[in-house]
Amino acid sequence: MSLLALDKWAKLVTIISQNGGIFKSIYKLWRFDTLKWNGKLVGTDSLGNKYYENPYYMLGRSRWVEYNDYVRWDYDATQITPEWYGWLHYKTDRLPHEDPAKYCISCCAWYQKWMLPPEENLSGTELAYYPYSTVRQHIQVWDGKSVCSRPTPCVCK
Amino acid sequence: MSLAKIFSLSSRVRAAGANTVLVRYASSGKEGQVEKVYPPNIPGYKYVNAVDPIMAFKEMSDRAAQTIFWTELARGFAVTLAHIFKEPATINYPFEKGPLSPRFRGEHALRRYPSGEERCIACKLCEAICPAQAITIEAEERKDGSRRTTRYDIDMTKCIYCGFCQEACPVDAIVEGPNFEFSTETHEELLYNKEKLLSNGDKWESEIASNIRADHLYR
Repeated sequence: MSLLALDKWAKLVTIISQNGGIFKSIYKLWRFDTLKWNGKLVGTDSLGNKYYENPYYMLGRSRWVEYNDYVRWDYDATQITPEWYGWLHYKTDRLPHEDPAKYCISCCAWYQKWMLPPEENLSGTELAYYPYSTVRQHIQVWDGKSVCSRPTPCVCK
Repeated sequence: MSLAKIFSLSSRVRAAGANTVLVRYASSGKEGQVEKVYPPNIPGYKYVNAVDPIMAFKEMSDRAAQTIFWTELARGFAVTLAHIFKEPATINYPFEKGPLSPRFRGEHALRRYPSGEERCIACKLCEAICPAQAITIEAEERKDGSRRTTRYDIDMTKCIYCGFCQEACPVDAIVEGPNFEFSTETHEELLYNKEKLLSNGDKWESEIASNIRADHLYR
């Protein structure tokens, strides 16, 4: 069996069937550049990205994300939500609902009032951040008029 | 030892091929001393430098055959072929990501108290300690009498991500969050102001709180 590498072919067939047939496998391969084997779905985040784990693979490849089908090929690493960020980066083995700090925040109504939804890196789009001053100007630029030529502000009302 | 002697020694080794001659020189006439062998053959140690080829006739003809029949070339192709079927060692970013530490120092963020009140009290310790002088702070009294910043600018292109600001902060307001994927298309977008830093904190609070909790025994 292993001498003729038949087990490798059997694994290939398993991978294709687990990814939903030949055509879906090709689509996934096109989108994600790789096909994974025996991924255990551990959760979905608020943006619809699915998180998988298979400890058979080496560290760094054993946890992966499948981005929401809605984004097609416009996936970006910043679409991963902060809740799942630590787990996907192997900072912790705890899923977001098992992490005490994250659990407390998700339960606390105070936090929910001011916390913002996750946002991808918007650089290069119209919504990109552009710096502006957060203070009032200390120095007023002279508008080129004198006291005589400046119209008096209306104080009738 | 004179230079001439070094040269004569090395040339003798090269001429002999095997090291027996040298060993005999070194150990001659001294009984009771440990015989020095080259390469050293000590248990527990592995000699990692290049060893001179064996000059026996069989070995020499084997080497000649390898060169003539290009077997090294064929073996090289076999290694390449084998690696096609091996599991790759590269990480398939952005679907898979590499390990990070909870202490990772990435994009800055200004945090808030659970009530939503901003933590920063404009003590300017971060501004003072910043070795790159990337932070600019202006403060004013707020209407309720508390001291707050009106300007909190960080030039992310000046910042060297040393983490001194978060260590200097007495109220855990400025932190270097876990995010490192904040690259931009223009320079201007990296000149962060207070609003941007606060919104970073509001987005990343769950991960920042988790990191601080993971490290609380060392703080």
